[in-house]
Amino acid sequence: MYSIINISGLAIGMAATMLIGLWIYDELNYNNHFKDKTTIAQIFQHESSNNIIETSPAIPRPLEFALRQDYNDNFKHIIMSSWEQPRYLNFGETTIYRTGNAMQEGAPEMLNLDIISGEKNGLKEMNSIMISESTAKTLFGSETALGKIIKVNNEDDLVVTAVYKDIPSNNSFSDMEYLIPWKFYVTTQPWLENAKDSWGNNSFQAFVQINENTTMEAISAKIKDVKKIGDPSEAEFNPEMFLFPMEDWYLRSDFENGVQSGGRIENVWLFGIIGLFVLLLACINFVNLSTARSEKRATEVGIRKSIGSQRSQLIFQFLSESFLIVLLSFVVALGIVLLFLNGFNNLASKAIEFPWSNIQFWLVSLLFVVITSVLAGSYPALYLSSFNPVAVLKGTFKSGRYSSLPRKVLVVAQFTVSAALIIGTLVVMNQIQFSKDRPVGYEKEGLIQIPVMSSEFLGKHEVMRTQFIASGGATSMTTLSGPTTEVWSNRSGYNWEGKPVGFQEDLAYTNVNYDFVETLGLKLIEGRDFSREFATDSNAVILNKTAVKYMNITNPIGKYIRDSDTEDPFTPLKIVGVIDDMIVQSPYSPVKQAMYVFEQYGNIAYYCLRLNPNKSTSDNLALIEGVFKKNFPNTPFDYQFVDEEYGAKFRSEERIASLARVFTALAIFISCLGLFGLASFVAEQRTKEIGVRKVLGASISQLWLLLSKDFITLVVIALLIASPIAYYVMGQWLQKFSYRTSVTWDVFAIACFGALIITLITVSFQAIKAAAANPVKSLRTE
Amino acid sequence: MIQITDLEKFYKTEEVQTIALNKLSFNVKEGEFVAIMGPSGCGKSTLLNILGLLDDPDGGSFMFNGTEVAGYNERKRSELRKHNIGFVFQSFNLIDELTVFENVELPLIYTGVKPVERKKQVEAVLEKMQIMHRRNHFPQQLSGGQQQRVAVARAVVNNPKLILADEPTGNLDSTNGNEVMDLLIDLNEAGTTIIMVTHSEHDAKYSHRIIRMLDGQKVTENILA
Repeated sequence: MYSIINISGLAIGMAATMLIGLWIYDELNYNNHFKDKTTIAQIFQHESSNNIIETSPAIPRPLEFALRQDYNDNFKHIIMSSWEQPRYLNFGETTIYRTGNAMQEGAPEMLNLDIISGEKNGLKEMNSIMISESTAKTLFGSETALGKIIKVNNEDDLVVTAVYKDIPSNNSFSDMEYLIPWKFYVTTQPWLENAKDSWGNNSFQAFVQINENTTMEAISAKIKDVKKIGDPSEAEFNPEMFLFPMEDWYLRSDFENGVQSGGRIENVWLFGIIGLFVLLLACINFVNLSTARSEKRATEVGIRKSIGSQRSQLIFQFLSESFLIVLLSFVVALGIVLLFLNGFNNLASKAIEFPWSNIQFWLVSLLFVVITSVLAGSYPALYLSSFNPVAVLKGTFKSGRYSSLPRKVLVVAQFTVSAALIIGTLVVMNQIQFSKDRPVGYEKEGLIQIPVMSSEFLGKHEVMRTQFIASGGATSMTTLSGPTTEVWSNRSGYNWEGKPVGFQEDLAYTNVNYDFVETLGLKLIEGRDFSREFATDSNAVILNKTAVKYMNITNPIGKYIRDSDTEDPFTPLKIVGVIDDMIVQSPYSPVKQAMYVFEQYGNIAYYCLRLNPNKSTSDNLALIEGVFKKNFPNTPFDYQFVDEEYGAKFRSEERIASLARVFTALAIFISCLGLFGLASFVAEQRTKEIGVRKVLGASISQLWLLLSKDFITLVVIALLIASPIAYYVMGQWLQKFSYRTSVTWDVFAIACFGALIITLITVSFQAIKAAAANPVKSLRTE
Repeated sequence: MIQITDLEKFYKTEEVQTIALNKLSFNVKEGEFVAIMGPSGCGKSTLLNILGLLDDPDGGSFMFNGTEVAGYNERKRSELRKHNIGFVFQSFNLIDELTVFENVELPLIYTGVKPVERKKQVEAVLEKMQIMHRRNHFPQQLSGGQQQRVAVARAVVNNPKLILADEPTGNLDSTNGNEVMDLLIDLNEAGTTIIMVTHSEHDAKYSHRIIRMLDGQKVTENILA
C-alpha cells in the first residue's frame, strides 16, 4: 500500500515535470531549425505619437535602398519580404489555398532551406516559385514538381524551381508553404512602385543576416536614424530603426512603450515554476512517507544491530532501498510520459517527440533520481541507524515529541502550493470568461467571411451580393478590406474641424461597403449605414465611438475628414454614421479608434455575409457555394466563421488555462495521495490511543474529528499562507490585460472550501476506518 | 449485579474455530471483589472484554443490573459502558500525548460533563490517588506505579459501579503492585464492584472469591471471605 502510494505519487510528479520540461525545452529551442539563428534579425521600428511609443515590424520600402547603399558591409543578407499571404495555387484540376511570402533572392540561403529538388537560388528568375514538400505532394502527388507550371491566383504562371522540406512547426516561417520572388511581387503589384520613395508607407518587412565581425547592438545604433535622414518630415514621429534578433522573436516579442517587455517567456517561467512545484510536491510525499514508515522499522534496525550490522551498512541499506524505489518511479514516469505525450501535444498545440537520443535529458534525469533518493533516504538512513538497539528491542524506544514536526511543515508546504495553484487557475479561468462575456459590439454568430484577394473578383461584389441574397443563403452582404477580427491598416495624416494643434492621430482603417452596419449587426449611435440612395456615399466614412472621442469631434454627423493637412487633392470624407465600438483586435484591450471608409480603389479582401437565420448553416453554405462556384469555377470556395475567428483570440490564454487546470489537478492529486498515506500512517500509529478513547466512551464521530482535526489545521495554515501570495501574483498577472477581472473573494472561498473538502474526504477514509475498528483488536496490538 | 449464563464466544480463522468461552456461567453481586485466574489462553481476557461491553458474546445470556445486554448494539453498549464501567489495564494504556490531568479527564469529556465540574472531579480523584503533584506531567515522565495510579484514577473518575482490571500489577514491581492493590481494596470497600483478571496468587488473595478457568470453562470457585 505504502509502496504503491509512494511509487505512483512520485512517478506522476516526475511524469508531469518531464512533460513540462519537454514543453519548456521545445519553447526555448524555438527557431533552432535555423542554423544561423544567432545572426538573423528582423528590422523593427519604434514610432511615437502623442508621447506613446509603438513598436512594429512594418517598415518602408526605401529603407532597403538606404541600407544597401550606406550600411551594406554590416550584412551578409538584406532580404525584403511581403507579409505572409494566402494565394490560390492551381495545377490541372487541383487548386489549393496556401500561405507564403514574396522574398528577395538570398532568403533560401539565409533561412537555410533544406532543398529536396531544384536549386537554392530558386528565386532568381522572375516567374519562379519555390514550394514546400507538402505543397508539392498536394499539388502533384507522386509526380516531379520541378519545372511544372503553377497558376497563382488564376492570373500568373510560375515555374517550380525548387521543393524544400517543410519547416518544422516550432519555428518561425513554418507556415511558409511557398516563396515567390520579390521582383515578381514588385512587378505585379503597381502600388509598390509608389511605395518605392515613400518613407511613410510602412507596408513591408525586412530580414537581415549580420556579418560575423559585428553585433546586433552595434548595427542597431548605426541604423537608428536612417528613416529620419531619409525623410526629415518623418521626424515628428521620431522613428528609430533597430534589429530584433531571431532569438527573441518567439519568446520576447512584447514591447511596452518602446521597451522590450517579455512575452511568451513569462509562460515558460510560469510553467517552469509549476513543474518544479509539482515535482517538489511529489518529493515531499516521498520523503514524508518514507520517513514515517522508517519509524516503524526501528525494531528491524534493533535486530540488525544486535546481530552485528555496522551503522555504515545500515546507512547504505536505507539509501539503496530509496534509490531503487526512485528508479522504479522514474521508469513508471517514463511510461506515463510516453502514454500521454500525444494528448499533451494536443493540449499544448505542440509536436514534441520523446528525446530518446538527448544526452542532456538523461543526465538531468539521473541527477534528479540521485538527488531525490538521497533526500528521501538520508533521514531514515542517518536517524534510524543511530538507534540504540537495546532501547528499541525492549520497546522503551519512543520517537520524539517533535519527530512529526518536519512532516507537518512539509504537508503545509504541499497544500500551500496546491492552494495557490487552485487560486491561480481560477483567476485565469475567470479572466478568460470575463473577456469572453465582454460585448463585442456586433453579432458575430451567423456571419461568414470569404477571402477574395485575387483580381478576378474585382468589381463583382454587387453582382455577387445580389446573387447570394437571391439564393436564400444570405440576408445581406458587405465587403471588407481586412478580416472582421484584425486591423490590417492604420493611418494618419488627416485633418478635420477642431483637430488639436500638433495632434498625431493613429486610426485603424478599414474599407467597407453598403450594408456594413446591417450585415455585421452593429449598433448605430448616430447617423446611418452606407446607402445606395446617396451617391455621395462613395466618399463617406463611419467612425466608432472611441474615434469620435479621440478626435474630439462634436456633432460629427455631416462633418468632413480631409486626407491631408495641406492642400487637399482628394475628395474629403463625409461622416455619415457613428457606431458603438466593435472589438476587432484583442478582447483584453480597449477598442482602438477606427474609421470605416466606403470602399475605394477596389480595396476588398473579404466578402462578409450574414447567413439566413431561417435556414440551417449547412444549407446556407451550400447555397452560397453554389453561387460562388457559378461565378468563379476555378477558385476553391473558402470561408471562415467570424465567431470562430474571434474565439481564436482566446486560444493562447485558454491553452494556459487548460495546462494550468491539468497540472493543478495533478498537484492536488499528489498532495492528497501523500495526505492519504500520512493519514493512514497516523491512524495506525494512534491505534492504541483510539482503542483507549473508545473504551472510555468516545463515539466514532468524536474520533473522526480527533484524527481529522490535525490535518485540517495544517491545511488551514497552508491556505493562510497561500492566499496572500496568490492574491499578489495573480494581481500582477492581471495587470497585463487592460480589460480585466479582479481577484475576488469568491475565488478564495472556492479554493479554501475545495481544499478543506478534499482534505476531509482524503483523511476521513482512514479516520473512520480507524474509529470504527473494534477497540479490543486495537488494544491487542500492544 | 452480573449474571452470566451459558456464555459462549468463538474465534474463527479461515479453517479453525476456537472456542474461547464454553457455556460459562457465574454471578457477581454488587460490592463484590472477584478474581479470575487461569493459564494463558483460557478465555480470561475474552470474558473481561464481554463483561466490559467491548465485545459481544456468540451465545448465552449476560444480565447487567437486571437487564439483558447480550444483544446490545455498539452505541447502546458504549452508552452503558461509559456510565457504569471503569477499566484498568496491565499496560496502563495511558495516552502519551496527554498530561496526567488530561488522561484522567477523558472519560468525563465523553460522558459530557461540563469543564468546571470536570476540573473539580479530576482534581478530587488525583488527590485521592496521591498523584496531584504530577498533574501536568506526561505519562512517559512517570514511574510504572505512578502510571498505574493514573490509570486507576481514570477508571474511577466517573464513579463507575464496576471496575474491570486486567492484570493491574503485571507490569509493576512488588512495592508498586501492592500499592495498586491497596487502591483497589479501598475502592471496593467504598462500594465499587471489582472483577480482576490475574496470574498472581498473591494479588488474588486480596479478593473475596477466586474463579479458576481452563479452556473457556469454570473449573473451581474458592470463596476467601
